[in-house]
Amino acid sequence: MALRITLGQYYPAQSPLHRMDPRAKLVCILVLVVTCFFINSPLQLAYGYAALVALVASSRVPLGKVLASTRALIATFAILSLFNLLVRPTGTPLAQLGPILITTDGAWAAVLYTLRLVIAVVACALLLLTTTPTSLTDALDSLLSPLARLGLPAHEIAMIFSLMLRFIPTLADEASAVIDAQTARGGAFGQGSPVHRVKAVGPVIVALLASSMRHANGLSRALGARCYEGAQTRSRWHPLAMRPSDWGFVALAAAYVAGLLLLGGV
Amino acid sequence: MGTSPSQVRTAPCAADRRPAPRKGEEPLLSLRGVTLRYDNGVRALDGVDLDVFPAERLCVLGANGSGKSTLGSVLCGLLAPDEGEVTLLGERVLADGRVDFDAYRRARRGIGLVFQNPDDQIVTTVVEEDVAFGPENLGLDPEEIGRRVRREIRRVALDDYAKADPTLLSGGQKQRLAIAGALAMEPRAIVFDEPAALLDVRGRRSILEVMGELRESGIGMVHITHYMDEALSADRVVVLDHGRVRLEGTPEEVFAHADHIRDLGLEEPFPARLSGRLAELGVGVGWTCDPQELAASVAAVCAHAPAPGEKDAGPATAAGEGGRQAAPAEGLCPTPAPARGAGAEEPAVLVDHVSYGYADGIAGTPAGSALDDVSLEALRGESVAIVGQTGSGKSTLLRLVCALDTPDAGTIRVDGLDTADKRSRSLIHGRIGYVMQFPERQLFAETVAQDVAYGPTNLGLAAGEVSRRVAEALALVGLADKADDSPFELSGGQQRLCALAGILAMRPETIVLDEPSAGLDPRGRIELESILDDVHARGATVIRVTHSMEEAAEAERVVVLDRSRVLMRGTPAEVFSPENGRALAEAGLGLPLPLRWALLLGELGVDGLGRPLTTEALARAVARRAGAARTGSGAAKGGEA
Repeated sequence: MALRITLGQYYPAQSPLHRMDPRAKLVCILVLVVTCFFINSPLQLAYGYAALVALVASSRVPLGKVLASTRALIATFAILSLFNLLVRPTGTPLAQLGPILITTDGAWAAVLYTLRLVIAVVACALLLLTTTPTSLTDALDSLLSPLARLGLPAHEIAMIFSLMLRFIPTLADEASAVIDAQTARGGAFGQGSPVHRVKAVGPVIVALLASSMRHANGLSRALGARCYEGAQTRSRWHPLAMRPSDWGFVALAAAYVAGLLLLGGV
Repeated sequence: MGTSPSQVRTAPCAADRRPAPRKGEEPLLSLRGVTLRYDNGVRALDGVDLDVFPAERLCVLGANGSGKSTLGSVLCGLLAPDEGEVTLLGERVLADGRVDFDAYRRARRGIGLVFQNPDDQIVTTVVEEDVAFGPENLGLDPEEIGRRVRREIRRVALDDYAKADPTLLSGGQKQRLAIAGALAMEPRAIVFDEPAALLDVRGRRSILEVMGELRESGIGMVHITHYMDEALSADRVVVLDHGRVRLEGTPEEVFAHADHIRDLGLEEPFPARLSGRLAELGVGVGWTCDPQELAASVAAVCAHAPAPGEKDAGPATAAGEGGRQAAPAEGLCPTPAPARGAGAEEPAVLVDHVSYGYADGIAGTPAGSALDDVSLEALRGESVAIVGQTGSGKSTLLRLVCALDTPDAGTIRVDGLDTADKRSRSLIHGRIGYVMQFPERQLFAETVAQDVAYGPTNLGLAAGEVSRRVAEALALVGLADKADDSPFELSGGQQRLCALAGILAMRPETIVLDEPSAGLDPRGRIELESILDDVHARGATVIRVTHSMEEAAEAERVVVLDRSRVLMRGTPAEVFSPENGRALAEAGLGLPLPLRWALLLGELGVDGLGRPLTTEALARAVARRAGAARTGSGAAKGGEA
């Protein structure tokens, strides 16, 4: 278990980004993530990265931590983006390997897709590194609350999301324990034919489902014992309140989007 | 039910224990004729009458499946029984067969619950936020929440971890966090459902200390436990069996029913076992479960005797000799390579200067070394115990020994096969059986037999051979009649045995166990021990990690790990010597109880008891000493009993 899932792990620090109202932070970062898909030119890319660097700097999370928590995802996306190399027949040919034609368009797409996904992944990681799941839940709860009037269980959705974040590391540890136990009993993972591999995963899934059920039972007992009865009776230790600095950040985010669109129009 | 037995000695209670009476005092929690049936008709609780008073710790004992946890849920208002009357904090939540849900809701606000698995009780990812969760649910205002959070975090000594991620805490710290979360709701009563079952020695002690403080502050506590010695310090004890209260009273009253206690699948606490055995050996000590009283009466019986010579005491225990050997080296061995004499046979497991570190990158934790220059060996057919507190590297070591990962430095050989060699790994998996912590969590098949067959099938054995081995393994653990049942419907103890059978069916030459008895009730522990003795007697090498020094003292060789390093290594007598007491305590461990008793008695003037590591050795040493006392004072007939 030398490897642990680090996504969703809060990094305690005092920084402008930590202190920001989680609703403002959530919305702004979502905007950053969505708009990174509008990036098409090198200039926009540079603009997007400038914004990302500013964001990382304002979080006071060591760069190493940011990269460590995003490394696996970025590597995955980078590999997926490589497919762009192979599927773009347009542009100037750069190399030909049998049926595979690599063109300038393909190469640019591969680079662009990877780099803008890095923006999205790092921005999401920053959100999770600087926001406790509790305040993230509060933010979701508050942002979704208008929908509660339409019958959407906004608070429950937010709570489930927060519990999910809480249990990811626990279940990941258990998954590796189950794999260990079955390997020690001669189970072969990642070996043999695809059919064999899929079959080998079955017992792991069943054991994990059983353990999730155990956790669910324990959790419901714990929630009951701590008088959790949904949103109605709950108060907040740190009630949400937008301060001028939070509005300032929202304005900055709006300015960023306007700039990005302007650069795109050029 | 709850009547005092005739043989009860009206033992003077320990000074700090208040009497149990409380007539006229209003109970916090009260059950009358409570019966609760499961869907399948089984009565989990059957006509239970019980009261819990302020400022008391009531211990609930009982074997697995006796209804303890159900009782806990009823007492904290999470489960409404089918029949009877329930009054919680003055709210009549169940009366005349009617459940008053609003009353339940009001009552629950004042009753806390802390249960076995700390992971399930932590709902957020920041320590202080988790403490705040309960008060937030109560709708308190922010200043009040902040005040309570700070107070409770300080009370359970987690000040340094207020902003930490709870998943990175140790088991004991997590459980203290769960307690803080319950206390922040300012409950008048708390139900503790086996809170220390999954903890190491130090963790368990810290939980008991917190409980002691709570009692001072007037909180009523229901403490469900499998550890009889924890029940000794309780104000009252009830014993459940098949949903009924079988015994009730002070610890002295309850444990005086020695035979009954054993029939109910429990064991006597140590002082009771010792005094009982001493009485059988003819030492004039009456039965008691009060440690102070027992120590005093042993001292009285052994008084007036000339201290026997060393050679009288020496043979009393095999430990005497070993202890002398250990003394010059002060028991602390640096870590030389395991001695391998020319022509000595290849050990079953050889760990040679092994180091292993965790990868960096976990937010909030530094890259750590899990094992640092660790060397040890297990000879064929030997039993080896590995002890060390949580986080000392024990589990990592077992993973490496079982070829599930490879060391960063050094080598590990299993039967001469290097675990770093990929081709030999599957061979190693066939020869070494790994019983992980809570192996029942890995059960997955539809039937017990299919689950047990998983390993032998993976070894590529023919169907006939597989079913022969499955039958053999199930017979060995006593589950032959459950072969076609679902493993998920077995009791907790049976599930553990089923998982063990899955390993035994592979007929490993070496079996490696990580705290195999954790969380089991006394009967389950005894069953497991006898199976493991059986496996060892058939020639298997047994390597086990344990939290219990008494279990470790039964092994042929003991390895003490502390903060990733080997602190000591040797026979039990070498490792568990009084000279090593301090070093062991610093490593969060201790000496086995019988030896601690011998040392305590030595301070009371009963010297020459040697270094007994088992209750039997201690009892015999005391009997010999008492015999010497009788002859020495010229009273009555000499000789030994």
